[in-house]
Amino acid sequence: MSTMTLTQVHLVDSDLTKENPKSSLKSVDVIIENGTISHIVAAGEGQQLNQQDPNNTVINADGALLLPGIIDLSAHFHNVASETAAAAKGGISLLCAQPNSHKSITDTPAAVNLIQQASDDAGNSHLLPLGALTQGLKGEQLANMHGLMASGCIALTNARAPIKNALVLRRIMEYAATHDTLIMLTAEDVNLSGGGKMHEGPTANRLGLTGIAEVAETTSLAQQLLLVELTGCRAHFSQLSCARSVAMIRQAQAQGLAVTADVAIANLLFTDADVDGFDSTFNVQPPLRNETDRLALLDGVNDGTLAICSNHRAHDIAAKKAPFAAAEAGMSTLDTWLPMMLTLVKNNELSLGALVNASSVLPANILGLTTAIKVGNLANMVLVNSNNEVLFTEDTLISAGKNNPVLGMPLVGEVRLTLSEGCEVFRA
Amino acid sequence: MTRHADPTQVQLTADGRLKHFLTTEGLTKSLLTEILDLADSFISTQERAVKKVPLLRGKTVVNLFFENSTRTRSTFELAAKRLSADILNLDIARSATSKGETLMDTLWNLEAMYSDMFVVRHADSGAAHFIAEQVTPGVAIINAGDGRHAHPTQAMLDMLTIRRHKGTIEGQTVAIVGDILHSRVARSQIHALKTLGAKEVRVIGPATLVPKEMAALGAKVFYDLEQGLADADVVIMLRLQKERMSDALLPSESEYFKLYGLTEAKLALAKPDAIVMHPGPINRGVEIDSAVADGQQSVILNQVSYGIAVRMAVMAMAMSGQASEQAAEKSQGETL
Repeated sequence: MSTMTLTQVHLVDSDLTKENPKSSLKSVDVIIENGTISHIVAAGEGQQLNQQDPNNTVINADGALLLPGIIDLSAHFHNVASETAAAAKGGISLLCAQPNSHKSITDTPAAVNLIQQASDDAGNSHLLPLGALTQGLKGEQLANMHGLMASGCIALTNARAPIKNALVLRRIMEYAATHDTLIMLTAEDVNLSGGGKMHEGPTANRLGLTGIAEVAETTSLAQQLLLVELTGCRAHFSQLSCARSVAMIRQAQAQGLAVTADVAIANLLFTDADVDGFDSTFNVQPPLRNETDRLALLDGVNDGTLAICSNHRAHDIAAKKAPFAAAEAGMSTLDTWLPMMLTLVKNNELSLGALVNASSVLPANILGLTTAIKVGNLANMVLVNSNNEVLFTEDTLISAGKNNPVLGMPLVGEVRLTLSEGCEVFRA
Repeated sequence: MTRHADPTQVQLTADGRLKHFLTTEGLTKSLLTEILDLADSFISTQERAVKKVPLLRGKTVVNLFFENSTRTRSTFELAAKRLSADILNLDIARSATSKGETLMDTLWNLEAMYSDMFVVRHADSGAAHFIAEQVTPGVAIINAGDGRHAHPTQAMLDMLTIRRHKGTIEGQTVAIVGDILHSRVARSQIHALKTLGAKEVRVIGPATLVPKEMAALGAKVFYDLEQGLADADVVIMLRLQKERMSDALLPSESEYFKLYGLTEAKLALAKPDAIVMHPGPINRGVEIDSAVADGQQSVILNQVSYGIAVRMAVMAMAMSGQASEQAAEKSQGETL
């Protein structure tokens, strides 16, 4: 029997809907017994409840925010131990592991078990394996979709590997609909991308870098939405980057299609202008687009259309130490994802309610989980001093990837405690 | 959010002197003019029997060419020799990196040889910039062409050509014709021309080869050669690579020549005293008619000889900028 009492927390109401995006804060004490939330009482009343328990850990939150467990819909893990530790310190409770992240491609039940084992061994924030949609992620033959789900995958995806043949895509969707399997898709016509490495626009032209046109994403999204309509499958679109795409998702949802979508945190903070100077840290897939896109993506998050993912990808130094186009794509973001979001809140670009919705409530709904802070639920939560300034450096990052875009930049959001599936995985 | 200082300033010392030469973008008019003036003075030394000046005596210059090039490399080699430097030519296109060595590994190896200057050509945009950020302080980087981004010494020799033939760059209308999309030369020319006061810079070609974003650099986009050439003072033809046809950017060489090839009849639309330039090597009958390439208005061969002088100028200036920065840092270290 172990008990944890969090006193004087500002609980952010997770009962947020699109109609009610403004979050309400209330000051409470929260008691967790054996990993399960047992009491939520008015501030000051919690301490009496467990005074006799010798194993009671009391944490005086002193007004810090308690947010429902943050769920990352997309992260890549090469080294599970270091990266889940980074997530724990970063305040993230649950993370979807992309199928091309671990030692092998997650296209067999054995590979799924390998990830689950690595996650259990690490004992940090809990990983939710994403299985491959096609064998070897080649986009040609269907993976054993049902078997992968039965072995514990939370959803299936082809990561950002293309499924070029639309007939294969249609078959995947039909098969997924048969078993009501959630599939996660990306929107990119790789022929239209033309080997580009950044957004097609004035900056790409000035730097002489091949651009990826907006239509590379939108034509692919349009095609896939029509196929979703035809097949009736449940589809989540990962890492959208264009303003037009947000409008297309809104329209599809209004039409009644079972589609959801997310945006990578990088696309909410940065634009193609940040590539100036050829900084390979900003070489990401999908590319950072222009300010109009960034603002439309923020709108999409604020109105509840889009979830936010870390799109974390740790690279060793050599992978990024190259001229821009020759460097590997991807950013390391797990350590700083929550502070990046809270900094957007501080800058009045994101509401706190939208933050909770986009990083916890919506991902939970998409995956069929719950991380709400309610009596009887397993404790998935993060305690964070949202106004405290934090500064990250290469030395303070836990992630093995130092390719983080906000090193040396003042952010807010000091994580004090992270609980994942009832377990304490980080305490400052 | 941003974490960058102005990236074009990497090539300058704290007091605004050239220490690398990576791009013509972001350099002041006076600095570009200083390059042209110094190059002018070197042209006179080139006409002497003894052509060497001792500005880089005892310095080691490494020609680091990750892309094949005979002409540009030879002019850099000659320029270094005429400045009395020791020069090492490394044809990386055929050596180390093709064996899997990374750009960084190659650089560290070369730095261990205590070189003072790298002249770099690389297929990736930003490569010279990247190397400049990585090398030991005191080593100068001269960009001899990076991807589609910049070819600043070519642009400056073109500026020198215009200035010597037209007297000034100010007030000139310059038409750049052809494959603008893939051209590092065009980008560097546009920045230099705008800074040096050209009246109008036009880019001319089909939409597959002329990005509309060129307008953001201050160039006026034309899809029609006749309209674009009207009353131009300077006509710069760009080389058309054979790959453009297989990349589905153009139907054929013959259709391209018909629409965008420079003939005497089309040149007649420009000002009567207009000059015709080309960074070479030329494709006769593809982008330019032989009669024009060899004609009265062509200054193509003059460009080549000015190239050595311009390269001498930027090498001398960058080396001296590095020396002054090193001296400044040393004296700062002593006062601390």
